[in-house]
Amino acid sequence: MEGFVAQKLHDFESGKISRRGLIEALTAAATAGAAGSAGAQGSAPALKVQLVNHISYTCPDFHKAADWYSKVFNLDQVGASKSNVVLPFGKPGEQPYNVTAKDVPQTHLVIRSRDPNRPPESGLPARPPSQAVIDHICYTIADFDRDRVVAELKSLGIEDAKVPGPRTVHVLDPFGFDVQISGLASSALTDRAGQ
Amino acid sequence: MERFIADLVRAFEAGKLSRREFCQTVALAATVYAAGDAADAQSAHGFKVLGINHISYTCPDYTKARDWYTSLLGMVNTPGKDTGKRADLMFGPPPGEGGSYLLTRNADSGEAGAAAAAKAVIDHICFTISDWDEARVRAALTANGLQIGGRPGSLHVYDPFGYDVQLANAIEENAFRH
Repeated sequence: MEGFVAQKLHDFESGKISRRGLIEALTAAATAGAAGSAGAQGSAPALKVQLVNHISYTCPDFHKAADWYSKVFNLDQVGASKSNVVLPFGKPGEQPYNVTAKDVPQTHLVIRSRDPNRPPESGLPARPPSQAVIDHICYTIADFDRDRVVAELKSLGIEDAKVPGPRTVHVLDPFGFDVQISGLASSALTDRAGQ
Repeated sequence: MERFIADLVRAFEAGKLSRREFCQTVALAATVYAAGDAADAQSAHGFKVLGINHISYTCPDYTKARDWYTSLLGMVNTPGKDTGKRADLMFGPPPGEGGSYLLTRNADSGEAGAAAAAKAVIDHICFTISDWDEARVRAALTANGLQIGGRPGSLHVYDPFGYDVQLANAIEENAFRH
């Protein structure tokens, strides 16, 4: 981006573009920058995951969990059945944040109550219990501010938030699952062990 | 934004901003603008979720998970973040712009204990694959010796630690089609 700005500034100073042209070019570039950078991922391997499609969360009382996630993250509940409900991260037709591909749906939570030891519905053979566990999920929220997040959680009746660092807040959901909340500034490049 | 940039041009012309300051400020404004879109969407109550920041995955040997998720699913091991006990595997939009990562780590990190105390479990994660080609996806999975379950457009495999991983397209796995 800085290189582009420098080039346009040079064009302006050398008379190649007008003052108005400079302002319009920089405005267009600044507002389109986020979308453009999403495509700079390098060559595609045979398979390349684009986004989390959904997270399958199983607990003793899916209504209770779904209501908590709806309250905290302001998520709608759709497609409820006797054993599960879906909580999409947006409205129908909305694009996932900064995803340019048109065939990537909104991430959603599927919150369920079901026997964790049931035979696999996928048709795969039953296997020993997984040796891996998802020990927490971190959600990116808009306009993250640690103190504001803690205050908002308190206003929602959630008093046990933990604040291990400036960029993140942890809280337990009603079933003791560790939920982390961060903003866009917290990423793989900024993350550090312990957070 | 246009008015802001016009003011910057005026300040630059008046000598109040150096050339470098001007370029850096416009670049920063672009970043802030992208985040500001999200900020404008902030909810009155609760939080506006933009996406999954990361998934913390604890297993007996993170290197096996790291190699599997990078070689098969195209995740990118974040340079400089592989500590010998954990690795951050990026996917999706660029980091800081909505991108996600899978934090793979060894069980001795202590995180698994907290998860064991919970009465809820994430029993599988589904990832979207864009531009889905059923034959290509199945061939890639089979080439890695994986048994495939599920149905067309929505496949399940087990990762090296027996964790259920689902891969799907936008038609078969969509929140509004459940």
